[in-house]
Amino acid sequence: MMGKMNDIKGNNPFRVPEKYFEEVNNKILSSTTGAENESMKKGLYFRLRPFLAVAASVAVLIIISYTATKLFRPVPYSTGILSEISLQEFTDSYLNEIDILTLEQNANPAVISGPVTGLSKLEIIDYLLLENIDENEIFELL
Amino acid sequence: MANSDQDINIVQLLKTDVNRAFRLLVEKYSSKLYWHIRRLVILHEDADDALQNTFISAWRNIRKFRSDSSLYTWLYAIATNEALTLINHRKRNAAVSLDDIGSILANSVEGSTWFDGDEAQIKLQNAILQLPDKQRIVFNLKYFDEMTYEDMSKVLNTSEGALKASFHHAVKKIEKMLGED
Repeated sequence: MMGKMNDIKGNNPFRVPEKYFEEVNNKILSSTTGAENESMKKGLYFRLRPFLAVAASVAVLIIISYTATKLFRPVPYSTGILSEISLQEFTDSYLNEIDILTLEQNANPAVISGPVTGLSKLEIIDYLLLENIDENEIFELL
Repeated sequence: MANSDQDINIVQLLKTDVNRAFRLLVEKYSSKLYWHIRRLVILHEDADDALQNTFISAWRNIRKFRSDSSLYTWLYAIATNEALTLINHRKRNAAVSLDDIGSILANSVEGSTWFDGDEAQIKLQNAILQLPDKQRIVFNLKYFDEMTYEDMSKVLNTSEGALKASFHHAVKKIEKMLGED
């Protein structure tokens, strides 16, 4: 009887679809090793996401702080353009710009109109004559 | 069978490249495990489900696999459990007899598409289906897979003596059933 059973054993009555083992192997691998690789990639991103967000926020804060400091910090004299101009240059150019009459007006009028001390009348007449001022006018004034 | 050279290489590879090791394992064992499961559950679609569940379960536990164990018996144990789970589920929900291959095939949309047995083969399959589940598994592993009792005792966690007795009783029953026809 066992011999009869062994004759039957040789023929497998079960069938499978064409290329079944090739396809099922791919299906198994994609749902095991493939799925893990994907989840590892995703997992790495999701694990790092909070740290990436913090790093990005810190970077933005640093950029904003740096920009604000650059824009609003007062320019120190040592580095400003005025430091490159000497006091003498400034005074000369400033004086050149001002009308000489303005200086005369601002000057103390007492100095001009008051009696000139230390000079004799004769010295003044000599000076005025050298300046080609008419004698009559000199005598009228003095 | 125990640990073949290829299995030893796969086990070694598990320590360094688990993905590649698992790929080799699937390529080597998917066909063997499919036929073991298919002979127990009969229908192709059930065997397909159980086979995929077997490897998913193996993948989940592969990192816990002890290198001194046998991949072959470990995988057969998982596959057998998956097949038994499916059979028990089907028994609870079956509206027809599951002791007759004709009923099982008729109860499935594609059942007869993937079965091409002659009268003698149908008789043998029906005789095997009459056996209690444990005896059927022992008979299939010994008769079709030609597994040693030593390996079978690891797969089924049963003593070799008990397995020998179980196989002996299974053969006697099948011979009797075939002789009656």
